[in-house]
This record gives sequence, C-alpha cells and structure tokens, in this order.
Amino acid sequence: MKKMAITITMLLIFGSIYAQIPTAEDILINADAVVNAPQDQEISLKMTLTDKGGNEKVREMRMYQKGDEMRLVRFLSPADQKGVSFLSLPDDVQYLYLPAFHKVRRIASHIKNDNFAGTDFSYDDMSASKYAEEYDATLLEKTDDLYILELIPKQGVEKSYSKLKMWVRQDNFYPVKVEFYDNNSILWKLFESRNIKKHGEYWVASEAEMTDLKKEHSTKMITEKIELNKGLADDIFTKRNLKRVK
Amino acid sequence: MKKIILFIGILLAIFSNSYAQADFSINGYMKTDNRMLTDNNSFTWNENQLELKFEGSYSGNYHLYSEVRLRGFGFPEISQTADLQGKDKIYKWKLEFREAYLDLYQFGLQDLDVRIGRQIITWGTADKLNPTSNICPEDLEDVFNFGKQAGVNSVLATYYWKDFTFSGVYVPTFTPAVLPSGIYASALSAPMEFPEGMTLNNSTDKIILPEQKFTESSQAAFKLGTNLFDYDLSVSYYYGRDDLPLLNKVIITPVDTLGNVDVAAEMIYPKMQVIGADFAGSLLDVGIWGEAALTIPEKIMLSTDLTALGMGIQESIALDNEPYIKYVFGCDYTFTNGIYLNTQYLHGFVHERGNDDLNDYLTFRFEKKFFNDELKIVPIGGAVSVTDWDDYENNYGLVINPELSFLPYDNIEMILGAFILDGKGSNMFSSLKDNDEVYFKAKVSF
Repeated sequence: MKKMAITITMLLIFGSIYAQIPTAEDILINADAVVNAPQDQEISLKMTLTDKGGNEKVREMRMYQKGDEMRLVRFLSPADQKGVSFLSLPDDVQYLYLPAFHKVRRIASHIKNDNFAGTDFSYDDMSASKYAEEYDATLLEKTDDLYILELIPKQGVEKSYSKLKMWVRQDNFYPVKVEFYDNNSILWKLFESRNIKKHGEYWVASEAEMTDLKKEHSTKMITEKIELNKGLADDIFTKRNLKRVK
Repeated sequence: MKKIILFIGILLAIFSNSYAQADFSINGYMKTDNRMLTDNNSFTWNENQLELKFEGSYSGNYHLYSEVRLRGFGFPEISQTADLQGKDKIYKWKLEFREAYLDLYQFGLQDLDVRIGRQIITWGTADKLNPTSNICPEDLEDVFNFGKQAGVNSVLATYYWKDFTFSGVYVPTFTPAVLPSGIYASALSAPMEFPEGMTLNNSTDKIILPEQKFTESSQAAFKLGTNLFDYDLSVSYYYGRDDLPLLNKVIITPVDTLGNVDVAAEMIYPKMQVIGADFAGSLLDVGIWGEAALTIPEKIMLSTDLTALGMGIQESIALDNEPYIKYVFGCDYTFTNGIYLNTQYLHGFVHERGNDDLNDYLTFRFEKKFFNDELKIVPIGGAVSVTDWDDYENNYGLVINPELSFLPYDNIEMILGAFILDGKGSNMFSSLKDNDEVYFKAKVSF
C-alpha cells in the first residue's frame, strides 16, 4: 500500500513536470531541431515569385542540406540564372558562384541582407535555420496548440531584423509562422510553412511562403521532391562542388 | 559554309540523341548590341549573337561543356557591284568556339579534378581587372568590356587538400590577344612620334608570333589558395608570354624630299614571368579585395633602321627586364537604402608595361535596383585615370558610364547606356574623347 502511494506521488510529480510549459529557449531549440532533424536533405523546389500586380515568375532549384549548418542551393531555371549557386557554411561563411564570371565569390556581410536572386529571401534567410544560436527568445503567449515567441538578435549578432515573432506548434515544435520586423519595429516580412506532414520519421513542410509586406511581393516554395538521410558527403558543401554546374 | 551547317547539324544530332540517355542540356541566349556616336549619329557597333551552351554528363565522374557563338558583327563593306554578290560582305558573321572542355572529377585521386580542352581560366579576386590572370589572352575587341578573356586549349588540374587548393595549368600553344577595332583601334597604342620635319606617309606592320612548339609557345601556371582568418588568399606563378604585341623593329624609309616617310614595324610577344598574390574578405561590413602581380619581363631591344636616311641603325630598349608591379584594391558596400557601391583602384592597366608606363585608375559604380530587381539604374559609373600626378590637369582621362537595365520578364534584359569620355594628354580615355556614344542592348536567354 505504501509502495503504491509512493508510486502515485512520483507519477504526480513527473506528470506535473511533464505538463510544465517549456522555456522559450527550449521551444526555440526544439523548433530548430525539428526543422533540421534529418541528417541530410536533398530537395527539389519550385519557387513562384508574385508581385503586387499578380504577375508570376518561376524558379526551380535544388537544395542540399547536411545537419543544421551546411546548405548548398543551385538554380536550375530560369535560363539566365541557371547554375547560380549559393553555399552556406558554419561560422556565417557564405559563397556565391556566378557561372558568367567563372568565379566563386565570398559573400561580404553587407550583402547578406540583400534579396537572393530576386526572391523575398535574403542570403541570410537562405542559410540553414539556427534561430536558437542567433536570437534570444521570450515566450509571449501559449494558445491551445501554439507557442508564440518573440526573438531578439543576441548581443553581437548583426541582423537586418530588429525582432521576430514566431508561432511554434506545441505537438511537434514545427515553426508555422514567423514575422520579421525591421529596425523601426515595423512588420516587414511574413514567413509561413504549410502542409506539414510526416515524411518517414521527420516532419516536413512541403510548402512555404515568404511575403515582403513593404514590396507586396511574395515567394512561394513548393517541394517537388524530397530525399532524406541519403548520406550526402561533406564534399558537396565545398567551393569545389559549388562551381560544378549541373 | 556547308561544312559549318553540317557541323552544327551533327552536333545537334549527337546531343539530341544523347539527351534521352543522360543528363544533358542546351541553353544559350540571343543578344543584340548597337551603339551610336552622339556628335554625328554614326553607328559604331552592330552586333547580333546566338550563343549555344551544351553541357551534361553520363555520370557524376565527368562533365562536358561547350559554348559556341554564332555572331554577326559589323557593317556592310561594299565598294563595287561584285561585293553585292556575296552575303559575307553584306552581312559579316562568324562562328566562335568560346569554350569546349571535359571535366574529370576525382581523376585518379579522390581529391583531384582535371579540366581538359578550350577553357577560360580567370584568376584573381578583383572585379574584371585582374593583373594575376594571365593564362588566357585578353579579348579587347570591345575596349569598354574590361577583363573579357578568350578561351585557350589547356589542361587544368586542381587538387584539394583540407582548406588548401592547388591548381596547375599547362597551355601548349600561344594565342594572342584580340585588339580593339574600328574607332577604338588606337585606344591602347601610343601615338607615333617623329623628329621635327618628318611626317608619316604610310605605315605597315608585321606580327611575329612565337613558333608553336613546346619551348616557344608553352605556358604554365600554378596557384595555391586557402582561407586564413576569414580571408580567401592565394599566391600564383605564371610563365609564358605577354599576349599583347611589342614593337621591336622599325624601318623608316623616305618617300620624297619633303620629309614624308614610310614606316615598317615589326612586333613580337615577349616572354614573361608573373608572381601573383590576392586576397578577398570583409572588413567590418565592407567587402574588400586586392591582388598584385610582380611581372618579370624578358628584355626586348628596339631596333630603328634609319639607313635610308643615312643615320644607320639605332638600338634602344623597348622593354627592360626590370620587374614591375601591377596591383588593384577594391571594395564594395550596400547602403541601407539599397544603393550598391563598387570601387577599385588600379595601378597598371592591361596594356601597360614597365615601371615608367604604369598609370593609376579609379573605377566606380553606384547602382540601385527597383521593382523587385526588374529595373537597375547606374546613375554614376565609370573610370578616371591620371598619367602624370604632377600635372594631372593636363594628363587625365575620364569615362562616365550611366546605365539603365530593365528585366521585364524572366530571361529578358534590355540595357540603355552611354559612354561619355573626356581627357587631356596621352592616355586611353583621352584618345577616345571624341567618341561619346549611346548604346542599346537586348538579350533573351533560353
């Protein structure tokens, strides 16, 4: 009887701990982890750029990612951008290859906040997602199924956004919406992830959209093909591979 | 003509057949480039291009690439009825092989890539003006398109080890630079100077190319690159020849008693070695780069034959073997309002040789994009050169190049711009100062 009472007490204690709201930092770490959960990813994407008049432009690209710090993006179309490639490495190192110039160029920090190839994503946005490393998080609100966080760039981290507001699902920690605010704290961009489904053991959003509210311009990314844990070699994420036009 | 059409047909047949079997693609563009002098509305440039790029691979171990350009360039050259009976005089066109090479990845060694064939190899970190890039000859046909180079048949081997990249190049045959033509022909050459009372009646010249044999025409180059303290660094060495001709023999012959003379000149391509170094990185938020090339030229004597004037043969130094350094430093920055600035300081332009001949240049370009990059305006762009700092007011050159680019749809670009030139003294820009022109270009990629 005594044993049963102890067991019930333990269960109540652990149940109480389990029911506690995780810290904002934990939520953010989990959000990064769920997005970058696969060891590696190879994704074929179709990007549709839509301006305020409803005119559309389409880009196709292939993205390779390993872990949460190495990403290579290669444009397949349109023809005038074919072969343009972008490499993001640890320690904020980014390279761009422009086939017309036969050169790999290191991206200086002043360009990192420029739009990437006419999309609404900056070069910095195109890097692998690691919000927890770059932002301090505060939990603003907990709704029935979402955590709402406010993210402020950490001391010494230079961002073109003064703050972010992030909506994270409670059930799987997938970030479904991010608002990006400019230096005057005015809402600038909106990022939304849609069609979040299990792909094997990983959660994957097959559609995402970044909207620049100032320009009234949006970039929608549709995943056309995804392969996870293929065993991508580190060699893919090198300057050597960057200039291999495929 | 039939052979060329047959060749293209075979090429297309091969690629269309292979297309189904492997990862092959055909891309390219069509482009028109038209220019007009502003003072007398003469057209100076009439160019139409169809460029085809073939590339692909059957496996991840190799890749082939070819860039072929069909190009109509120039104006009808008709002087008699017979000329009207040949299309090649009415509309001049030619086929150019820009590049055609084979990449072999992990060739023999895991970390070795080899590229064989006609290729453009560009070294250096600066924008377009690269004193350390000497493997491929300059293509100066369009004198304002600085830094354009032509392909050469070569073997390039690149070995990767940790953060280091080692490249070695061998070029068996010599290819000279393409010089400016038409109204730009004199842009890179100094005016001929004669003693008082002597005037030029006629001039001819002869170019002596090096023999196409291993010991005469071969060029080799090496480069070691790495990344240190967040800076990309490299050192390089080149052994080969200057791709611009140098005067080494002049024969002056009088044609009358009034001082009129004929001049027969002979030019060669001197051997040279170039030791280079470059860097690129960021300082605070500013992108910075620089490169320097120490050139060790072969000593070339200039023989002036004045025998017909009773003055014998005079020898002087055309190019001393004293080493000289060309260098360039540059930076770029994007301001918070989106204006992009790119500027470079250059000591020694591509055609300048020897310590006494190197001039200073400053290039600059402000640009701003609008409407989701559909419109790009360059209100101020261009270059300034100073050939004598002690008397810069009388020895300067200036080219201003405002430009407007419009990309209404994917793959389509239209450019409207102008070259406004000014200068005093003897320099590249002042020699063209009467050639202010406007241009219109349109390009569709596919």
